[in-house]
Amino acid sequence: MSWIRRSWKAEEANEWTKEDLIACILSPLAYTALAIGIALALLLKFVGFLIIIVAIVLIILMIYVIDPKLKAISTEYEKKQNEYLEDLEKIIRWEE
Amino acid sequence: MVVFTILDWIWIVIFLLLMIISGALFYRLGKRSESDFFLAGRGLPWWLPASSVYATHTATDTPMWVSGVIYKYGLRGIWYTFFSAWCAISAFVSARIFRRSLAYTQAEWQTLRFSGLGAELLRGWLAGWQVFMNMFILGWVGIAMGKVCHFLFNWPEWVGLVLFSSLCAIYVLAAGYWGVVMADFQQGIIALAVIVIVSLWGIVAAGGPQGIINKLDSIGELWRTNPFAFSGWSTGDFPLAWFITMMVIAVIGGVGMGTSIDWYAEAQRIQSARTVRDASYSIWAGTALVIARNSLWAVAILGFYVLYPGITSQASYELAWYRLGFEFLPAGMVGFFFAAIVAIHISTISTHLNLGALYATRDIYHHYINPRASEKRLVWVGRITTLILLLGSFMYGLMMEEITKWLIFALWIMAAGIWLPSILQVIWWRFNSWGYLSSWIANLGLSWLVVWVLPAFKVIPVLPDYQQFWLMMLLGALIYIPITFLTPPEDMEKLVKYYVMSRPVGWWEPVRREAEKRGLLKTRE
Repeated sequence: MSWIRRSWKAEEANEWTKEDLIACILSPLAYTALAIGIALALLLKFVGFLIIIVAIVLIILMIYVIDPKLKAISTEYEKKQNEYLEDLEKIIRWEE
Repeated sequence: MVVFTILDWIWIVIFLLLMIISGALFYRLGKRSESDFFLAGRGLPWWLPASSVYATHTATDTPMWVSGVIYKYGLRGIWYTFFSAWCAISAFVSARIFRRSLAYTQAEWQTLRFSGLGAELLRGWLAGWQVFMNMFILGWVGIAMGKVCHFLFNWPEWVGLVLFSSLCAIYVLAAGYWGVVMADFQQGIIALAVIVIVSLWGIVAAGGPQGIINKLDSIGELWRTNPFAFSGWSTGDFPLAWFITMMVIAVIGGVGMGTSIDWYAEAQRIQSARTVRDASYSIWAGTALVIARNSLWAVAILGFYVLYPGITSQASYELAWYRLGFEFLPAGMVGFFFAAIVAIHISTISTHLNLGALYATRDIYHHYINPRASEKRLVWVGRITTLILLLGSFMYGLMMEEITKWLIFALWIMAAGIWLPSILQVIWWRFNSWGYLSSWIANLGLSWLVVWVLPAFKVIPVLPDYQQFWLMMLLGALIYIPITFLTPPEDMEKLVKYYVMSRPVGWWEPVRREAEKRGLLKTRE
């Protein structure tokens, strides 16, 4: 899946890209499959087990797509967090 | 009434001690600062807030609510419980934006996104609203426990309400959010284990999966095992139009902030996570567990249905899952079940006690009353407001009658008119504080008008809830869109600062260009 980017520079990761969109499509599908799959599997319906497998595949794909980006965003953001927290305290004390 | 053996009482005492002590042990961490008392110092790995999301949204009223819709609608009723799916998109969009803002609360976020008087009015409004809402939620969850205790021991309903909420308050007062999240982790495990045991036990008691299907088939109700058994496009008791509306609300709502009443509790968990990545995974994983749990419950309630078909009283069939546990578990396990119900109950109570106190302390006391307050004083104000919320919840709890009626009203109606504005404030730079404020005010009036007043005077017919949603969204837009364009945009200085910090998604091009012009962001190729 070469069209999925797995290596990110901090500044690039901050932009909204197709990887975010893909995660946002896979994620509700995974939830839906999870809801239906578990219910039907508990009724011992074969299709329920199949849907649970689909849900697991969707979750793995979602993490594969979005995790490298989330890691890059987090690393970059941590560096600036203290400065932002100081601003937040100024706002609450009416200094800004 | 259910008769408890000595072993049952031992289970209950051990569990109660374990839960209260495990929370109170974090007293020293909780009292260090406002950030510790309300956000556990923003240092939690994703699985801790995730377990808190799961535990919080597993309350004593939740199995009643799930039992109510599954008993009535069959397996298609799981879509009523699918509201929590807003986290599917939120985990990767609004959670990321909100975590980067670092706001303690959604009310505080308003003053980062908007500016001037409008922002302050929104902050005060949301803070007051959230203090009220948390007291209200504490009341309805608390009275659900009162109903369970009444069913079990024939206690007056107020006893269950007051007793267990008060026990929970011990560790919330002592350790704040540290106590909440640590106890939630333990309570989440206990609750999950018991939900699995009781639900599977109930399914077996009903004849097992095949037995349930055969019995439903014999009474001509096999449609109850089909999650997509719609009654028509817009007719019958389960129309496809309702399903589509619910999916739109739940899934697309994740782009916004505050589109679901659960957002406010999740926002606290998002900010308590140590990184943006942890924040995303925490609400995603916690919600995945909630969805899995609902499906497990649903099948157990189908089992209850074949055991006891034809119950017409909503108050009776809402107790379906509890009855499976108390009527079918062997002696000695009933106490274990009740102890788990207590765990389920106090995990939700603890969250809302601390969350309501967060809004009262951070947004009302710290920002408007005493901006120079010391950390020690802020922690004490947090404790006092926790106590006030507890006492207020007793009053609300005793005023409530039907759990499901209130939940449907809260989930559909109280969020309907602000659903779209809550998305617009995230994705559209031009949407301003006056637009958002007006949508809230309009929604309060419109929800009562559309649901009760106009139908009572026969101006409009009594509409199904999904039609009420679309009508209120339309009527609300006729108010807040003109107000947005008739009032000036937010201060560009503020917008640029917010944009650089939070990197919101959507239509922010003028703000982006300004940030690039000022050299705050690299110019795109």
